[in-house]
Amino acid sequence: MIRYIQESRLEELFRILSRRGPLYLPLAEGPSLSFRPWSEGAPVDLKTVNSTVSAKEIFLPREEAYFCYRRAGRELALEPLEQEAANAVAFGLRACDLRGLEMLDRVFKDQDPPDGLYLRRREQTAIVALACAEPAPYCFCSLFGIDPARAGGADLQAWWHGEGLCLKALTAAGEELLSSAGELLHEGPAGAEEPPRVETGNFGLKLEGLPAGLRERFDDPVWEELYRSCLGCGACTYICPTCYCFDLEDFGHQEKGERYRCWDSCMFREFTLMAGGHNPRPTRKERVRNRFLHKLQYYPERYGEIACTGCGRCLRSCPVDLNIVQVIRALGGESR
Amino acid sequence: MTAVNPLLPQKVTLQEIVAETPEIKTLRLASEKGIPFDFIPGQCAMISLPPVGEALFSITSSPGCREYLEFSIKKVGAVTRALHELEPGQQLGLRGPYGNGFPLEALRGKDLLFIGGGIGLAPLRSLINYCLERRGDFGGIDILYGARTPEDLIRREEIMERWPAAPDTRVYLTVDAPYPGWEGHVAFVPAYLSELAFSPENRIAITCGPPAMIKFVLKALEELNFAPEQVITTLEMRMKCGVGKCGRCNIGSLYVCRDGPVFTLAQLRQLPPEY
Repeated sequence: MIRYIQESRLEELFRILSRRGPLYLPLAEGPSLSFRPWSEGAPVDLKTVNSTVSAKEIFLPREEAYFCYRRAGRELALEPLEQEAANAVAFGLRACDLRGLEMLDRVFKDQDPPDGLYLRRREQTAIVALACAEPAPYCFCSLFGIDPARAGGADLQAWWHGEGLCLKALTAAGEELLSSAGELLHEGPAGAEEPPRVETGNFGLKLEGLPAGLRERFDDPVWEELYRSCLGCGACTYICPTCYCFDLEDFGHQEKGERYRCWDSCMFREFTLMAGGHNPRPTRKERVRNRFLHKLQYYPERYGEIACTGCGRCLRSCPVDLNIVQVIRALGGESR
Repeated sequence: MTAVNPLLPQKVTLQEIVAETPEIKTLRLASEKGIPFDFIPGQCAMISLPPVGEALFSITSSPGCREYLEFSIKKVGAVTRALHELEPGQQLGLRGPYGNGFPLEALRGKDLLFIGGGIGLAPLRSLINYCLERRGDFGGIDILYGARTPEDLIRREEIMERWPAAPDTRVYLTVDAPYPGWEGHVAFVPAYLSELAFSPENRIAITCGPPAMIKFVLKALEELNFAPEQVITTLEMRMKCGVGKCGRCNIGSLYVCRDGPVFTLAQLRQLPPEY
C-alpha cells in the first residue's frame, strides 16, 4: 500500500524517525550536500541530484575511533569503543548510491572476515531510497542498468508526487517505519502506485562497449597521456560511492589515546610508500592507472562487476575532468 | 553483536628482545595462553605499539613452537625504531595471522632450496624449522643465505650450528665482500647460486630478500632450468588492515595481505609488475 506525506509535514516525520536513533539525511553544508545526522532545523535538501559526497559515509564514516589505549609503564590497556549506530535511518539515498553500497558490501560484509564496524552500521540502519524525479546532466546510471526510480536494497522507496512524497514499504523494516509515522501519513493518491520511470543519458557509451582485455593493456601508451592532468588531490576518491580505501592511525600521546580509521586515497604518494623508501606506485601515472583499473578490471575480476554506478560525481567534481567517462573513452570504450 | 572487529588487536607481552645485528632485533611475543594464535609458515601478523601505530611482520618462529611467536625486525621506520627501544615485559597489541603462507602440501616430498638475503631469512626460517621438525616429510634441504657483511647475518646459532647438523641439510653462507675474520664464501647470493648449480629435478626453490637480490636470483634459477612453478617467493607491501579491505597492497586484483604474501613465479608473471 502506498502512503503519502505532504512536503510541509516532512519535518514532523523526521522528528519521529530521529527518536529511534540517528537519522541521516542529505544536509546542505555551504555549497556541499552530504548525509549527516539530522537535528531540529537542519537544512535538508531532498531535491538536488546528487549529494556532493556519496552516502557511503553513513556506513564507512570519514573517520571513526575504534579503540582507546592507555599505557602505564610497561602495561597497555586496549578498550574497544562503542558505536552509536543503533536503529539508524538513512533517508533519501539515490539508486546509484545503493548500488555503490552493494559494492562495498562485497568487500566489508561478504568477504571474510567481515568488517565489524561496517556490518554493525549496515545491520542497524533502515534505508529509505528516494527516486530521482529528473536526473542531473552528468548522471549516467542507466548505463549500468540502474533505474534511478527503483533502488535495490532499500527498505522503503520514496518518490516525489505533487506537493509531497509517496512512500512504499519494501521490507518489514520499511513497514515498521511507516507504522511509526502513524497519522502523519495518508493514503497515496490515485494513479501513483509506482514511481515514474526515469532514464539517464549514457555519454554515448554502452555496457558491452566498455573496454575489455585491460589485462593486456597495462603498458598501453594511453596511460602516459591520461595521468598528466591529474592534480593528485584525491577528491575523486572521497566523493566516489565505490572508493573505500582507508587508513588506520593513532591519535594521542604516550599514556592515552585512540586508534581511528579514516578515509585514505590511492592518489597519494604516501599511500603505498614503504618504510624503507620503496614505492610500488611512485608517480601519478601508476596511481591514476591503478585507480581506474580497480574500477574497470581489478574489482570486476574479484567481485564480478564494474565498480562504477554512473553517479556522475567525478564528472562534476574533478577539477581537470579526469573522470571515468573520459578514461573509458580514452581506452576506446564507445557505443557500437 | 554479530561480528567482531578484525582490526582490534589482542594484548601480548614482549618476553625477550635480542639484537641479531646492529639493525635487526628478534622479538619474542606471547599472550597469557602462550602462542597467541595458530598459523602456518609464511604468514604475517600486525604488531601495535600506540601511539606510534601498527606494522606488519612475517612470523619467523615455527608453528611447532607453542610458547611464543618470534619476529625478526629491521629498523627502517617509525614503528620499527620504537619496537627496537622496548624492554622485556612491555605489553603490545597483536593481530593476525594474515596471508596465505607457504604451500606446505606442494612442498611435501620435494628437495627444498632456500635462498635468503639479509632480513629475508625471517620468513624462510619459520618454514625451515617447520620442515626440520617433520624431517621425513621432505627431501634434501639446502639453505643458501647471504648478507652484506658477516655482522649482518642473523640467527647465527641456527645457521652455523643447528641447521648444518640436521639430517640431509646443508647450509651455504656468503657475504658480499671480504671482511676481517670472515673465512667463508665471498660472493653475492645470485652468483653463489649459479656457482652451486642446483638441479631443478624434484626441487622447489624458495627465496626472500631485497628486491635487487630477488631479481637476479630469479634470473639465476631460470638459467638453472627451474620452471616458474618451482620457484616461490614472498612479497612485501605497505599494509594497514591485513584483511584485503584497506586497498593499498594490491597487485592487480590480488591483495598481498590475503592472496599473498607467498606467490610462485608463475603466479607473479600473471600480475602487473607493480611491487
